[in-house]
Amino acid sequence: MLKQLLLEIYKADYVSKSNLAVKLDSPVPLVEEGFAELVRLGYLLEDASLNCQDRPCGRCPYASMCQKEPLKTWTITEKGRALLEDYQAAV
Amino acid sequence: MPITIALMGNPNSGKTTLFNALTGANQHVGNWPGVTVERKEGQTRHGNQVYTVVDLPGTYSLGAFSEDEVVAREFILTGNPDVVINVVDATNIERNLYLTTQLLEMGAKVVVALNMVDEAEARQISVDEKALSRRLGIPVIPTVASKRKGIDELMEAATATIRAPLNGHVRLSYGESIDGKIAELEDLLKNGDLAYPPGWLALKLLEGDEYLRKVVDVSLKLQGSDEFTRFWDEMAVQAEDFQLEIVDSRYKFVGDVTKDVVRRPEVAVQTTTDKVDRVLTHKYWGMPIFAVIMFIVFQLTFAIGQDLLGRWMATGVEYAGGLLESLLVTVNAPQWLIDFAENGVVGGVGAVIEFVPLIVILYMLMGFLEDSGYMARAAYVMDNTMRAVGLQGKTFISMIVGFGCNVPGVMATRTLESKKDRMIAILINPFMSCGAKIPIYLVFIAAFFPSYGGLVLFSVYALGILVAFLMGKIFSKTLFKGETSHFIMELPPYRKPTLGNVLRNMWDNVSGFLTRAGTTIFAVVSLLWVLAVLPVGVEPYGAESILGRIGLLIAPIFEPAGFGNWQAAVGLFSGIAAKEAVVAILGMVYAGVEEGMELVMAIREVFTPLTAISFMVMTLLYTPCAATLGTIKKETGSAKWALFSATYTFAIAWVLAVLVFQVGRLLGFS
Ligand SMILES: Nc1nc2c(ncn2[C@@H]2O[C@H](COP(=O)(O)OP(=O)(O)O)[C@@H](O)[C@H]2O)c(=O)[nH]1
Repeated sequence: MLKQLLLEIYKADYVSKSNLAVKLDSPVPLVEEGFAELVRLGYLLEDASLNCQDRPCGRCPYASMCQKEPLKTWTITEKGRALLEDYQAAV
Repeated sequence: MPITIALMGNPNSGKTTLFNALTGANQHVGNWPGVTVERKEGQTRHGNQVYTVVDLPGTYSLGAFSEDEVVAREFILTGNPDVVINVVDATNIERNLYLTTQLLEMGAKVVVALNMVDEAEARQISVDEKALSRRLGIPVIPTVASKRKGIDELMEAATATIRAPLNGHVRLSYGESIDGKIAELEDLLKNGDLAYPPGWLALKLLEGDEYLRKVVDVSLKLQGSDEFTRFWDEMAVQAEDFQLEIVDSRYKFVGDVTKDVVRRPEVAVQTTTDKVDRVLTHKYWGMPIFAVIMFIVFQLTFAIGQDLLGRWMATGVEYAGGLLESLLVTVNAPQWLIDFAENGVVGGVGAVIEFVPLIVILYMLMGFLEDSGYMARAAYVMDNTMRAVGLQGKTFISMIVGFGCNVPGVMATRTLESKKDRMIAILINPFMSCGAKIPIYLVFIAAFFPSYGGLVLFSVYALGILVAFLMGKIFSKTLFKGETSHFIMELPPYRKPTLGNVLRNMWDNVSGFLTRAGTTIFAVVSLLWVLAVLPVGVEPYGAESILGRIGLLIAPIFEPAGFGNWQAAVGLFSGIAAKEAVVAILGMVYAGVEEGMELVMAIREVFTPLTAISFMVMTLLYTPCAATLGTIKKETGSAKWALFSATYTFAIAWVLAVLVFQVGRLLGFS
């Protein structure tokens, strides 16, 4: 199931957890759990986002604006790609 | 013999609340030996029995991923708790049961506290706790920890579980081959005299648990056994597959169980989201829709911010200025101070503040879009366009940040892996019109295009994006070449924006803006005010002042763009210190020209609609502010790139401004 989830993520243009949920016929929280496991196993990477510690915000008056995360992005790791290749070859 | 209960659960499942409900004031806090993880322990009473309750760290899993996980599982296996109460969040049961599954694997006696059932009910999530209990083979007790509901029943079930022998709980299968390997390994480990249950240990070793691997290696070596090493050498090739298979088995199990016991009302919402997304992120329609939405945002900004609130603010600034002046006169302040207050503070800083209502509204509307989830769709659409012109899509994230301020915008490029992408993203970020430039456009809009405010502002932003794309394309073809990396953007679910979020967003922006007005801009204005009234004897704010002479020196550069007057030159120049200063300085130098003359009126006399446009193009694109340049220097690690950025943006801005003016003139505009 996790392999299939990874494959769907790979095939999709964008990650929409609700969309994946429909595709895999699973509830959204289960899809979320799947993401967490794939990350834990090192197949999927939630892209590093910046937080204020990385930034010299100091007393900049706009600091509170900058800390907001505009977007979340994911990358399938080398390990994940290798897994998908094997999987697709097998299917 | 005291009876020990261990509390275990995901973060935010309500574990602390339950712990407090159970123990009340009877608790003390320490540390787990050897680590910095907090250890909380307390006493509770049920019937006439006293129980020790140990609150284990909240975790999602029981691997060796973090200190928390290791502490929790060590305690369960070697701390001999009589029962583990597993707090499960009923609203998010799929995520929580993964941990439950692992507790069952450990062979611990487990009782599930199905917490937050009130919240689940409110969200129309129904969990059949009896069926869940049957599937897991352990008691499941619904609780509302925050209201102390279900606590007695929970303690009752825990007590019964402690008394009864361990049996009946479900055993997962990980597939034939893994189950076989587990049995094989278990046999080997049985003789090893290890502190953990051999079955569980075998499972964890196959799952690739490095922490336990070390423990076992050392321990068996000490015992002189090399069977384990041999087994392991044979196994090594398959290890990774086993890990995935084992995790996947748990995942499947959780999916199977929840499918039967949880009912959610979300299916309709999901398909709507999908349908809406298909339109909003459409290959061809996505971009025009984004443009229309932004256009509406800008239009609304003017409709509400200018027509409704703008006049009120202008009157307010004027009134406050008058008050300040008469106050200074009454206390017999020196003439220079009165002059400074009038022209520097009110004329300059006040000119910036007058535009606060528009900025408030603009950011409120943007906050609304952000909060609703639309911005992610817009980013996706832009991302596709960027990829189409050969740019790394993630660049757009730094560009979005740049709309607020280029400093974090440039810093946000750190998320780009390749050096090439990153350099390009840094160099084009300043073309994103930052918040500090807004007052400049607003002044010129008020002077010349009051009924087309939305359109003008929209065009300015669009031009910035266009130039950024173009330059990005050019850079990727010339300066930097290389592979672009791939990533997938997440589109979050749509949400109804909450008033609180929108207001907070707005306040963050406005307070930032006002703070800047009171500090940086004030400082720049003060400094330039001195230059504008010196040397003593010349006409203040005149061409003979130091400031005027500097301006006259630069002004000829801008002659071909149509605004070769010294005031505009000084304004642009001051913008390199901080972009808000442009309007402030224009306000100051023009306010001094004629008593009580409003900036907008002055602009109308000095500029024409055509030169106003070329000036706006110039301010949109020219040299970024000092803070941004400093950040570019820092992020690229070289002053050369900062210098390059400063000059090439200026060159592009100048060329386009000249182009606007000259072509416009040829076409008969003035
Ligand atoms: N509605 C509801 N909220 C709860 C319940 N139990 C805890 N909470 C709330 O959930 C939040 C997280 O609880 P907390 O005990 O800090 O979670 P922990 O991270 O697992 O320790 C707090 O705001 C609690 O007040 C419950 O049964 N129902």
